[in-house]
Amino acid sequence: MIAYFIRRLILIVPTFIGITIMVFAITRFVPGGPIERIIANARQMQAMHSSAGGSTGGTGSVAGAGQPLSVEQINRLKKYYGFDEPLLKSYFSWLSKVLHGNLGRSTRYYDPVWDIIKARIPISLYFGILTMILIYGVCIPLGIAKAVRHNSGFDNISSVIIFTGYAIPGWVAGVIMLVVFSSRFDIFPLGGLTSDLFSDLSLIGKIKDIAWHTVLPLLSYVIGSFSVMTLLMKNTLMDNLSADYVRTAIAKGLPFKKAVFRHAMQNSLIPIATGFGNNISIILSGSFLIEKVFNINGMGLLGYESVVDRDYPVVMGILVISSLLFMIGNILSDICVAIVDPRVRFNKH
Amino acid sequence: MKTMIISSLTKKRWERFKSVKRGFVSFIILALMIFLSVFAELLINNRAIIVYYNGHLLFPTYSEMIPGKKFGLDYDYETNYRALEKKFRKEKNGNWLIMPPVPYNPFENDLKKGKYPPFPPSFKDRHFLGTDNVGRDILARVVYGFRTAIFFSLILLFLNYSMGISLGCIMGYFGGKFDLFFQRILEIWSNIPFLYVVIIISSIVVPNIMILVLIMAFFGWIQMTWVMRTMTYKEKERDYVLAARSLGASDLRIIFHHIIPNTVSVIVTYAPFAISGGIVALTSLDYLGFGLPAPTPSWGELLLQGWTNMDAWWISSSVVAALVITLVVVTFTGEGIREALDPKMHTIYE
Repeated sequence: MIAYFIRRLILIVPTFIGITIMVFAITRFVPGGPIERIIANARQMQAMHSSAGGSTGGTGSVAGAGQPLSVEQINRLKKYYGFDEPLLKSYFSWLSKVLHGNLGRSTRYYDPVWDIIKARIPISLYFGILTMILIYGVCIPLGIAKAVRHNSGFDNISSVIIFTGYAIPGWVAGVIMLVVFSSRFDIFPLGGLTSDLFSDLSLIGKIKDIAWHTVLPLLSYVIGSFSVMTLLMKNTLMDNLSADYVRTAIAKGLPFKKAVFRHAMQNSLIPIATGFGNNISIILSGSFLIEKVFNINGMGLLGYESVVDRDYPVVMGILVISSLLFMIGNILSDICVAIVDPRVRFNKH
Repeated sequence: MKTMIISSLTKKRWERFKSVKRGFVSFIILALMIFLSVFAELLINNRAIIVYYNGHLLFPTYSEMIPGKKFGLDYDYETNYRALEKKFRKEKNGNWLIMPPVPYNPFENDLKKGKYPPFPPSFKDRHFLGTDNVGRDILARVVYGFRTAIFFSLILLFLNYSMGISLGCIMGYFGGKFDLFFQRILEIWSNIPFLYVVIIISSIVVPNIMILVLIMAFFGWIQMTWVMRTMTYKEKERDYVLAARSLGASDLRIIFHHIIPNTVSVIVTYAPFAISGGIVALTSLDYLGFGLPAPTPSWGELLLQGWTNMDAWWISSSVVAALVITLVVVTFTGEGIREALDPKMHTIYE
C-alpha cells in the first residue's frame, strides 16, 4: 500500500508540469499582457502631455502617432518580464525559481507574489473552516435523522428544502440576500469583512463586527453544500441498515438505536470520508463569485482579479498552490478511505 | 408494423418515474416552460399577433418587417403597434389588432418623459415585472434569457456527452497504458482555470452563443468521461460481456450493443444536473461580463444590474425567482429520474 501512495505522489510531478506549462503557454499568447499595458499607459501619458503642452514638443508628436516607447525600451521590458526567451526556456527558468520558493513579483503591485497570497490566506481559511464545520455538523446528523425516519413528513420536507438549496448557486443567493437584508431592511452590512471604524472598536466589538459581516457570505457558501452530503449519509446508512449484519444484530435483540449507532453508523461514515481530503483545496481556494458579490478579499477574488488584469505571476502562483493542494487532497482522500475502511487495499491499479 | 420498440424495462421505468410525484410534476412544468419559450415571440413581443386592416388579416410576428406606411402612418420604419392599437381604437372604423400579453420586445427601451428608469412593476404599462436600468421590460428579458440559457445548456449537454461517453468508454474498455495516460490528461485538463480561457477568448473575439458553447464544451466533457470510464470499467468485468466476447463479438459490438445500453441509466441520471450546471455557468459568465455580447437578454446581466442597483428590488428578485424556479424544477426532475432508474428498496424497521 505504501508503494501505491508513493507512486501516486510521483505521478503528481508530470501532472503538475502539464498544468503549469499549459497555463504558462496561454499567458504567452494572450493579447493585453503587461508590456502592452505599459505601452498603453505610456501612450495615454503622452497624449495628455501633448494636449497640455500644445505645440511645444516637436519630437514627441513624431513618435506619438504609433509607438510611444522605443524598440530598445520594449526589448528591455521583454527581458524584465522574461518574454524575450523561447517558451520552454522561460518556462523552465520560472519552474526552477518556483522550486527555490520564489514565485516572482506581481506585475500589478510590484510586490512578491507570495506576500500577496499570504495576506489573503487567513480570510479564505476563516470562511473555509467555518463552512466545513457547518456542513459536517449539519449533514451527518440530518442524514441520520432522515434515514431513520425514511418517507416521513420530516424526511420529505427536508428533502425539498435541501434540494431547493442545491439548485440555487451560492452567489445568486448572495445577491438576493444582499438586496433583501442589506439594502431593503438594512439588517446586515453590504459587504466586506469589517466596518470602516474597525480599528477603533474594542476586542468584543471587533468580534461582533466580524461575525455580523460573516453571516451572509457564510450562508451563501453553505447553502448548496448540504444536499450532496446529507443524501450520501442518508443513503449509505439506509443501505447498511438493510444489510445482514444489522438484521442479525436486531434479531438477537439489540435495540434499534444501538444497532444504528454502534454498527451501521461506523460503516456509513466511509463514503463521507472519501471526500474529506479534498476539503484542503476547497478551504483555501474559496469561491471567487461569492467573494466578488460580498467584496471579500480572499484567494478567490485575488485569482479572479489577477486573471482579469493579466497579472501573470499571481495567476501562476495561485495555480501552483491550488493545483498542488488539489492533487494532494485527492491522495489524502484515498488515505482517509484506507484508514476507515479496512477492506480497501490499493495493491493493484 | 412496429416502428419503435419500447422494451418492457423502459416502460416500467417510465411508470416508476410517473409515480415519483415531485419529479414528474417538475418534468411537466419544465417541458411546458421550454415549449412556451420557443413561441415566446407570440407572448412577449412589440409586434402584434394579428392585425385586421382594411379587410386584410396580417400576422406580423413571424413575417418580415411591415413599415408604418402600410397602415396609413407617415413613417417608413417598423410599425409601432402599440401606437397603432390606440389609433385604431380612436378611429373606430372596424380595424383592430391583438397585441401579445406583454407588448414589448427584450431590446426596446421604453422611456418616459422626465423620469429615469428603472421603473417598478406596473400593470397599467404592462411592465409586469418592471423595467431594467435602461428601460427594457424585465419579463421579456427573463423569458428570452431563459430560452437562451436552456438551449445553450442542451447543446452543451449534447457536446459534452458525445465527447465524454466515447472517450470514457474507450478508456474504461481498453484500460492499461492508454487509460493511465488519459487519466493524467484529464487531471491536467480539469485543473486549468476555465474562466481564464474564457476571458482570454472573449478578449480576442466577441463570443457569440456558438463560440461560448464550444469553449464551455472544451472544459465540460471531463466529468462525463470520468463517470463513463468508471462505469465501463465495472461493466466489462461482468459475465455478460465475457459471454458476448466468447461468442466472438467484436470490441465495437460489445461497447455499443452491450455496455452502453447497460450504462444508459447513469447517463440519463446525470443529464438534468448537467443542464442546471450549464444554466448556472452561463449566468455566472454573463454576470462577470464575459458571456454573451451586450444586448442579448441574459440572466447574468440582469443579476449584475440588480446587484449594482439594489434599490430596484424588482430586477434582482424577478431574475432570482426565475433562476430558482428553473433550477429547482430541473433538479427535482433529475431527482425523479434517479429514483426511477435506480430504485433503492430498503428494509425499514418499524
